[in-house]
Amino acid sequence: MANPPDHNRISANRAFALLATAFALLFSAVVALLAFDQHRVLEASERLQQETVPAIIRFQRLARNLDQLRQEGERLFSSGTPEGRQQSLFIVMLVASHPSILDHPQSAETARDTESFLVETSRLAGQDPTLLKARHADWLHYSRRLSLLVDDLSVQGASLATDDLGDMVAVMRLARIKLIGALVLVGVFLLLMMALLRHHLIRPLQRIDHTLSSLGVDQPAPEFPDVRLTEIHAVEEATKRLHASLVSNEAARRELELLANRDGLTGLINRRHFMLMAESELQRAQRYGRPIAVALGDLDYFKRLNDTYGHGAGDAVLRTFAALLSDSVRQSDLVCRYGGEEFAFLFPESSVEQARILVERFRQRFADHDIQLPNGLLIRVTLSIGLADASHCPIEIALQRADFALYEAKRLGRNRVIVAEETI
Amino acid sequence: MAVFRTLLLIAGWCCSLVHAAELVVAVGVQDPAQVAMQGQALPSDMPGFEMVALNEDIAREICRRINARCSVHYVTVAEILPGIESRRFDIGFGNFLRSPERELQVAYSDAIWHSSSRLVGSPAAAKTFAGKLGQAVTLDNLRDARVIAVDGSQQRAFLQRIAGERGLTVIVTPTPVGAINALRDDSADFALLPILNAYALLSRDNPQQLEFVGPAVADRGLGGSVHIVLPKQQDELRRSVNRAIAAIRADGTFQRIVRQYFPLGLN
Repeated sequence: MANPPDHNRISANRAFALLATAFALLFSAVVALLAFDQHRVLEASERLQQETVPAIIRFQRLARNLDQLRQEGERLFSSGTPEGRQQSLFIVMLVASHPSILDHPQSAETARDTESFLVETSRLAGQDPTLLKARHADWLHYSRRLSLLVDDLSVQGASLATDDLGDMVAVMRLARIKLIGALVLVGVFLLLMMALLRHHLIRPLQRIDHTLSSLGVDQPAPEFPDVRLTEIHAVEEATKRLHASLVSNEAARRELELLANRDGLTGLINRRHFMLMAESELQRAQRYGRPIAVALGDLDYFKRLNDTYGHGAGDAVLRTFAALLSDSVRQSDLVCRYGGEEFAFLFPESSVEQARILVERFRQRFADHDIQLPNGLLIRVTLSIGLADASHCPIEIALQRADFALYEAKRLGRNRVIVAEETI
Repeated sequence: MAVFRTLLLIAGWCCSLVHAAELVVAVGVQDPAQVAMQGQALPSDMPGFEMVALNEDIAREICRRINARCSVHYVTVAEILPGIESRRFDIGFGNFLRSPERELQVAYSDAIWHSSSRLVGSPAAAKTFAGKLGQAVTLDNLRDARVIAVDGSQQRAFLQRIAGERGLTVIVTPTPVGAINALRDDSADFALLPILNAYALLSRDNPQQLEFVGPAVADRGLGGSVHIVLPKQQDELRRSVNRAIAAIRADGTFQRIVRQYFPLGLN
């Protein structure tokens, strides 16, 4: 998969800073909107408290005073004595002189007219009480005018509160809509942010975690889809490099192991590795009562060959021997260069007799094999072999017995296989 | 419980350290005879009793609310402002309207009620002057008359301002009762009085000899909000008095006191 160029990627720091800035701006805008509405509500409340309520109280006071004016007028007409009428008239004058009435032109005019009418009525009644009845019809006109004014003022006062409260309710409703809108907006933003986080951060991290969990030399090189965050891309690239490093290290390890376990000249396993593996095979065979045999072989007159043809010839003989040996033994058999021109054999699942047949066949084959020296000369080299059973003793004892048998084979004239006695 | 008892003891000890303030309260009289009745209960049939009793009751209620021990002194209105200014009095009740001149002398409480001014005179005087003027007498058209007002009042100050232009003779009296007496003995044609004082006096005028003349006036400094006066630089006292006024309005005490003496609310 082709990855985008680096300049198309964005740093996680920058991405989160952008997200945080966007969220802060959005939230600030929402808070500012709500604060503006709250300010309007506070303004309306303050106006209600500082202006409207006092105005309502003034209207109520005015209406009450006008109504008292009307009631005192009624009392003047119903009073049977001049003193009673005079008292009512004084109260009428007092009320009509009240600043709340004087400050309201319509009320002031109405009160003034009413007072004049009642003063005149009181004066006429003092001269002729029967005139009261005649003027009562006119009084009803004044009384109705006062009543209407009282009603108008009451409604006017109440309307002030209604208007202000209506404004407040409208602002609060608008604020509620804005609040819901803000909550939805913030919710959508959070969902979007979570989706972005999941797509650009969580999922890539999960992929990396899965890849790292199963990362191994036997697995193919990891592949990742395209990502936008620089840091994620860097971790993915590091994971790929880690896999390549693991593969490289494994190859080096295998090579080192080969170098540590093999003989450099013949390619056969070395003595140390042979001993480790032989120990293990012997334990297995002895645990399950299976036959197993060991042998030690030594090239005859090898020192004389070196002295005669040189070490290059000796090396060629050893390499030829090893190659021939590899073709002759079974896959389960172990052969190592035990030291110099000496070789050790291990034959799992083989009795001494079966092993003797194998090594005898090989001894014969080797003895009949023409070995070409570096100078082109063809020679033949023989092999002496000592064979011993290893089914019931440690590897060191079995090899010691095989060594004695080898010595016996040398003593008896070489180029032969001698099986060790059961006991030494 | 031990902790609670300890707290109570501490609270009691603290309370014992708080002494009630000693305040001197000046109440403007309506009748010169009232000045001589310091410390006595005024007879209810005394002219101007209502205004003095109203102011004294409100003063005592405010003193109680601000936890002050008050001594009430009956004085003429003209004595109150200088007395407050010289710190002879701590609180003054004289139905004071606000004016720029007074603002320089004293501090004002919040409004306690609202007032206006009105001419008072005999029907005969009203008729005579109506004949001269060719129309019903009002404060706006009154000319060439003897008008009496209370010394130190806004009404007097107003009359002084227009006297030259209108040919008015301004007569000064220390109390509203003095103004009424001057009308009765014909040493003045009209009196310009605060409406509440005039009402309190006229309602006792029996047989009826005097009446209101012309409409009430609330502009030109003759009406508006009425205040208690206090010494300047006594902000804490002023705030306490304002809190007490608000409290007695809120719990109805103020209205109940007013209703004892007047047939209507003063707001």
